[in-house]
Amino acid sequence: MDDQLMTERRVDAHEIKITARGVQVYYGEKHALKDVDVDILANTVTAFIGPSGCGKSTFLRCLNRMNDTVAIARVEGDIRIDGEDIYDSRVDPVQLRAKVGMVFQKPNPFPKSIYDNVAYGPKIHGLARTKADLDRIVEESLRKAALWNEVKDRLKESGTGLSGGQQQRLCIARAVATGPEILLMDEPCSALDPIATAQVEELIDELREKFSVVIVTHSMQQAARVSQRTAFFHLGNLVEYGNTSKIFTNPDDPRTESYITGRIG
Amino acid sequence: MPNSEHIVSGFDRDLEGIQAQIMRMGGLVEEAIARATEALETRDGEQARAVRDADRAIDALEEQVNDEAARIIAQRQPIAGDLRTVLTVFRVSTNLERIGDYAKNIAKRTETIIESPPVNGSAASLRRMARQVELMLKDVLDAYIQRDVALAADVRARDRDVDQMYSAIFREYLTFMMEDPRNITTCMHLHFMAKNIERMGDHVTSIAEQVIYLVTGDMPDDDRPKQDATALSVGPRT
Repeated sequence: MDDQLMTERRVDAHEIKITARGVQVYYGEKHALKDVDVDILANTVTAFIGPSGCGKSTFLRCLNRMNDTVAIARVEGDIRIDGEDIYDSRVDPVQLRAKVGMVFQKPNPFPKSIYDNVAYGPKIHGLARTKADLDRIVEESLRKAALWNEVKDRLKESGTGLSGGQQQRLCIARAVATGPEILLMDEPCSALDPIATAQVEELIDELREKFSVVIVTHSMQQAARVSQRTAFFHLGNLVEYGNTSKIFTNPDDPRTESYITGRIG
Repeated sequence: MPNSEHIVSGFDRDLEGIQAQIMRMGGLVEEAIARATEALETRDGEQARAVRDADRAIDALEEQVNDEAARIIAQRQPIAGDLRTVLTVFRVSTNLERIGDYAKNIAKRTETIIESPPVNGSAASLRRMARQVELMLKDVLDAYIQRDVALAADVRARDRDVDQMYSAIFREYLTFMMEDPRNITTCMHLHFMAKNIERMGDHVTSIAEQVIYLVTGDMPDDDRPKQDATALSVGPRT
């Protein structure tokens, strides 16, 4: 079934990028995520929605092994990207995170120049041989993040001197600079004003052509606007996962409907 | 239904408010059908006049309902079942307003034809047909407020009877006109009234479909058997 919005650019969205099976996450005694099965498609924006504490950010953080950094977190189950088990002992989490980039709720540029913010990742991953290579990666990344025209004349200025919306786009440029295939976004617009939000949303739609984007959002309207697929989490369970247009017009599960229409928190 | 109450209680009041207005409109429209056809049968020009005047209230309600529904979309951004509730209100109010217009047109024609002598027995069959539509309307409003898909489907099926009654009346009036050409003016008016009632049935059917959409999220797509064969009719064979 393919009932994407007619106005959306058609991108081949049927290839599976991430497969998760029987994923369980425990924080100490707390069972935070219960037996999640999900297939995330390539070149698709997938939105995770649900009330606070429902497990959506926890699951997002499983996808690039960010939960490894939480001492009491324990992840079980099987998560594969392009068929490869990302929790295999031979996988280097640092390499994984270059492939699976992440953008956080609050823009967190390094206290360095705009240029260095973007160049940092490619440098440590050895993606650029020459200065010219690096310049090219920085420019391309800033262009992808729709920030190039605004900052091209002040690349040496500090990244923290930009506006909130620009800082967030700088973080997106930094995330795409390592050539990721998947971009995880944890409430990327919640600290932004409506204009900057619209710019980031437009950007997300453009990024979909090259990446799989997974976005956690508390805004139902944002999920409805930017995503093609939506997953609703509640109390650690994945309640419903399907086409965004279906979820927001006629969801199958009454819990989904209660949540998206503002009846349960 | 999921949890019935929104966290923001004003949203509930908004949705209940527009649905209550739909029910009020429905009540006025039911009354308009009954009184218009009664005026026809009893040849009561004054009552026909009153039906015409009462249509203004229906039109005003439609405008109110639509304004209110637009405001809810702008302010609350309804989705899922809430969105269907608002979309349905738009369409149902339009259907009801149209039915009201048909009742008004019946009243207007009544005022004209009571100037001429009656054609025997002609009004009674119209009133029966109108009674059928009125009952369907009553049931569809019940189905709407109770979210009763089975009742809505039943109403939808009953439009067939209205179509059959219309076909019968069509033949009946043709016969009257052929028997006595002096009946032609009156019978032409009566025929338009019958057509009005038949169209009312179609609008009631459309409301029934909206109820099904409201509850299930899908419009019924099976074709209803059409019983109005008059489009193919060439008159009584001699």
